[in-house]
Amino acid sequence: MATAPNPEAGQDQAWRKNRKLDQWIAFWSVPFFFNLFGLVFVPLSWMMPPRSPSSTTPHIVDFMHSHNLLIACVILTLAFGLAPVSNACYLMQIKRMSVSRAFRYSMMIGAITGAIVGMLFPMFCFGLGAFRPGYSPAVLTMLYDFGYLAFIGSLGCFCVMWMAFGLAILLDHNNILPKWLGYYTVWQYMTELIAAPVWIAKSGPFAWNGLMTFWFAMTLYVPWQFIVYLCIYKAIKSQPEAELDNARPEPQRAA
Amino acid sequence: MTDVAEDSATGVDQSDRAAGARGHVPGDPSMWFFVIGDLLIFGVYFVVYMYFRVQNHELFLHSQARLNLDIGAINTVMLLSSSLFVALGTAAARAGNSADALRRFWVALAFGAAFPLLKMCEWIPEISAALTPGTNLFFMYYYVMTGMHLCHVLLGLIIMCFVIRNLKTSQQPKISFVETGATYWHMVDVLWLVLFALLYLMR
Repeated sequence: MATAPNPEAGQDQAWRKNRKLDQWIAFWSVPFFFNLFGLVFVPLSWMMPPRSPSSTTPHIVDFMHSHNLLIACVILTLAFGLAPVSNACYLMQIKRMSVSRAFRYSMMIGAITGAIVGMLFPMFCFGLGAFRPGYSPAVLTMLYDFGYLAFIGSLGCFCVMWMAFGLAILLDHNNILPKWLGYYTVWQYMTELIAAPVWIAKSGPFAWNGLMTFWFAMTLYVPWQFIVYLCIYKAIKSQPEAELDNARPEPQRAA
Repeated sequence: MTDVAEDSATGVDQSDRAAGARGHVPGDPSMWFFVIGDLLIFGVYFVVYMYFRVQNHELFLHSQARLNLDIGAINTVMLLSSSLFVALGTAAARAGNSADALRRFWVALAFGAAFPLLKMCEWIPEISAALTPGTNLFFMYYYVMTGMHLCHVLLGLIIMCFVIRNLKTSQQPKISFVETGATYWHMVDVLWLVLFALLYLMR
């Protein structure tokens, strides 16, 4: 098989030989996942910005039976597996930090519970409405409530995840991610805690579509999410190759 | 500040440098990023609270009268005393007197730890009297804002424990870490003063 080196083939192989390939796959799954998520929740189903918790039953029934919601649920069913892949890029970087493994495990469990309650529960609720047209309006109203409460009221699950992430950044001596990001993460999870009142309020600033619980939390969350990924990108870029999990000596070629 | 910058630029002797160091931003600069941001976030909460208060003035006034002003006032004294001891402890740590600093931080921690306990003494009878977040918008604000603040207090107590550990175990404690913890704790104090005025005192 020994042939003259072919530069094109070399380039073609170069990305596959990149030892950070696993991290880059996890990283680039993020914009893909978020774009898909954004598409599903905003222009397709108009699930977001959240509909009113005190919508009338006919409005709820119309929404739950809409074709767009059905398509949105199909996409969600096919794509939810991307969530663990995209979360891997945080976990890989936390592993490099000089903090207890407990942070990584807490973050992992937080991400799992967050994805189950915040993504799978709404998917089941809205999916049931969209795929099973036989339910009575009362059941659909309950599914609508359940779906939205799981989606917005579940932020507490993510709090554990982001608390572990923020504290790991702050306590890390290896300076893998900037300290100010740790503090920003602390605000972020503090404002997520404020989502708890959506279980009680059905209108006003603390309802699930309210000024405090949704809009203000989003104003902090969206830039934070962008900034986190920029910092993760820089951290992956600057990670020395010798430190990688798959760091190993070049295999000896047979003579 | 300009003098300090010029001194350091021209390379002055050690004593001048030490004098210049006193003019530095205390603690970790990223903690200031946090403090300023957190004050802005709470600032938004306060403005939104005021907006809804103006809209429902009677309701807010009536509900406010049902709060336990005594415990609120005692808690204010607790936090102020705690902050005072944190400031004294930081001064002792800066002067290189770790033993004094440690003692003062223990006192500060004790005053600080009284805050959540008193908060429970305030909340539990209120909740038992059916004054819950679901009662009306005022009580929702009251529990959410004091609850958020309580989370800050708990985080502050944890940070203070780390500061105490730093003073206790290290031969040369990290002064910047002590200052960082103190900065955070003073912010918690300032936030409470505004909350106390808005929720308990404002008529």
